[in-house]
Amino acid sequence: MKIQLNNIGKKYEGRENFTIRNIDLEIDDKDFCVILGPSGCGKSTLLRMIAGLTSITEGDLFFGGKRMNSVEPKDRDIAMVFQSYALYPHMTVYENMAFSLKMRKERKSVIHERVLEAAELLQITEYLYSKPSEISGGQRQRVALGRAIVRKADVFLMDEPLSNLDAKLREHMRVELVRLHQSLETTSIYVTHDQTEAMTMATKIVLLDQGKIQQVGSPTLFYEKPANLFVAGFIGSPTMNIFRGKIKHGHFLSSEEDFVIEPKAKDRELLKPFEGKKVAMGIRSERFIAGKADKNAINVKVDVIEMLGKEQLLYCQFPNGKECVISEPGYFEYAVNEEHNFHLDIEGLHFFDEETTERIN
Amino acid sequence: MIKQKKKGLYLSDRPPLTPLKTILLAISYILLFAYVFVILWPLAQIVLSSFNGSQSQYIRIGGTYQFSFKHFKFLFEEKPFLKWVINTIVIAVATALLTLLFVSFTGYAYSRYRFKGRKASLMAIMLIQTIPTFVGIAAFYTLHSIISAAIPGFSRQMFLVLIYAGGGIASNTFILKGYIDSISTELDDAARIDGCGNFQVYRLIIMPIVRPMLAIIALWSFIGPFLDYMLPSIILGDPEQYTLATGLYTLINDSRNMHQPAFAAGGLLTALPIVILFIALQKQLVSGLASGAVKG
Repeated sequence: MKIQLNNIGKKYEGRENFTIRNIDLEIDDKDFCVILGPSGCGKSTLLRMIAGLTSITEGDLFFGGKRMNSVEPKDRDIAMVFQSYALYPHMTVYENMAFSLKMRKERKSVIHERVLEAAELLQITEYLYSKPSEISGGQRQRVALGRAIVRKADVFLMDEPLSNLDAKLREHMRVELVRLHQSLETTSIYVTHDQTEAMTMATKIVLLDQGKIQQVGSPTLFYEKPANLFVAGFIGSPTMNIFRGKIKHGHFLSSEEDFVIEPKAKDRELLKPFEGKKVAMGIRSERFIAGKADKNAINVKVDVIEMLGKEQLLYCQFPNGKECVISEPGYFEYAVNEEHNFHLDIEGLHFFDEETTERIN
Repeated sequence: MIKQKKKGLYLSDRPPLTPLKTILLAISYILLFAYVFVILWPLAQIVLSSFNGSQSQYIRIGGTYQFSFKHFKFLFEEKPFLKWVINTIVIAVATALLTLLFVSFTGYAYSRYRFKGRKASLMAIMLIQTIPTFVGIAAFYTLHSIISAAIPGFSRQMFLVLIYAGGGIASNTFILKGYIDSISTELDDAARIDGCGNFQVYRLIIMPIVRPMLAIIALWSFIGPFLDYMLPSIILGDPEQYTLATGLYTLINDSRNMHQPAFAAGGLLTALPIVILFIALQKQLVSGLASGAVKG
C-alpha cells in the first residue's frame, strides 16, 4: 500500500516546540523504507503517528489515498514490531501470535494454519507452547516478528527491532528481515539509528535530524551523494573526512593552507560561484590512494591503526594536528608513527557550502 | 560410591563457617526459636482451650483437660454465631469485590492516562489517607442518613461495606498504579494494534499481568472486616447484624456473660475462611509473571 505523509507535524502536550514538523514523504507500495536518525530526532514519533499510537497534530496521513488521521490503530491494517518486542507475558508463544487474529474473530482453523505457517517460516515451531520468559532474546524477537506476520497486514512497521540482539544475530536477522519483506510483499517502514541497518536493508532511506527530513533516497544515493554535511557525517563507517577550506582560482585550499586540491572539470564548473568563499570538502576513507603524486597529494603521520582483516583503518595526523581516516587493503604494511604519502581520488570528492551546509557538486 | 564423593564435597555457596560464626549462627537460631515460641504458644493455648470441656467462664492454663465440642456448641446454639459468620463473609466479599472493581479502573487510569488534576488528585488521596477512619464517624452518620433517605433499602451493613471499600480503594489505587507503571506501555501499544480497545487492553493484557497484585488486594480487603471490631460495633446496632469480631467481643466484654473458651473457639473458626482463601489464591499470589514481557 502506498503511504503518503503531507506536511505532518507533532507537538506533544506541555512542550514548547514541535518535535517534528513539515514532513512530506511518499512511501511506495512494497518499499522497504528505513527512517534513520540520531536519538531524539523524532523518528519513533513519526512511526507512532503512522501506526496511530500518537495523534497527528497537523498535516495528513494517507494509506492508499485514504485519509487515516482519525482511524484507530486496530483499523489501519498495520502490524508492528516493537523494540522491546512487547510479547504478552501471560500467553504462550502460540497465543501471542494468535492474539491479533483472535481479536478479529478469525476462525480457529484459519488462526492455527497461519500461526503454524509463520512459526515454520521463522523456525520457532518447537517453542510454540513456551511462555516468552522461557525463551532467549533472539527467539523472542522472532516471536515478535511472527506476531506481526500472521496478520498479513498491508503495512509492516518496525521500531528498532534488532537493537536488543547481539552483533552476530543482528547481522543474521538483517538478511532474514529483507527476505521476509520480499516474501510478504508488504510495505515496510523500519526505524533505526544504525546506519548500517539502513544501508543494508532499505530500498529507500529517510534521514531525519532535529525533526526535519535531511535527505530521502536509495542507499547508494546516500553514500555517493549526501545532500548536506549532516548526511555526509552520518552515513558511512568510518565517518567521511571533512576538510574545511576555501576555493581559490578554482582549487580547493585547506584552511591551514597545507594542501591544495584540484577538482575534476565538472566540479570546477559547479564550484565557480563559490570562488573565494568558505567550502567544506569531504572524502571517504577508501578514496585515498597510497603513493606519491604530483597533484592532490598529502603527507601524514600514522597515529593509530585499526586492523579489520580485509582492510585497515589508518588514523592519521597532518603536521598541524588535523586528523583524517584512511583505509587501505589489509596486506599493505604500515606501522605507527611512520610518515606516508597519499593522494586523493578526485572522482570521490564531495563539496559542501559552509554556510548552508548544502551539497555543491 | 558417587554418594560418598558427594558427601566429601563442600557445595554451599558461602564460605565455610569459622568457630565464631558457628556460635553466632547458634545464637540467631535460639532467638528465632524463641520468637516462634512467643507466637505459637498463645495460638496453641487458644486451640487447646477451645476444645477443653472442663473450662467454663475463664481460660485457665493447667488443670484438668477434657476433650469436648461444648464451646463450639455454645457458639452455635446459644449465640447467633452462624449469623455473624454469614454477615462477615457477605461484608468481606462485597468489600473485596467493590475494591477490586474500582481499584482496577483507578489504578489503570492513573498509570496510563494523563489528565488534568491527575497529580493533585493522587496527592489528595494520599493526604486523606492520613486521617484515621474513626474521625469520620460523624460524617458517616450524616452520609448514612442522606443515603438511606434516598434509598430506603440501604442497610447499615451496606454502609459498612462502603466505608471499608472506600478506604481500600484509596490506598490500593497507589499500589496498583505503581505495579502497572512497571509494565511497559509498549504492551498496550501492541495490544492496541492487535485490535484491542481501551477496556480490552486492561481486561486481556494488563489484568492478567497484575493478577498477583490484584490477589493481594483482594485478600487484604477480605481480611479487613474480619479484624475490625470498632466500626461495626458503632455502626451496627443489632447483635444479629454483628460481624465476627464484634460478635465475639460480646463474649469477653462483660463479666456477667463472660465466656472465654467460646471466644477462643470463635477465633479459631474465624481463621478458617481466611485460610481457605489464602490457599485458593496461593497460585495467583506468585508474582514475577511480568518478567519476559520485554527483553530482560
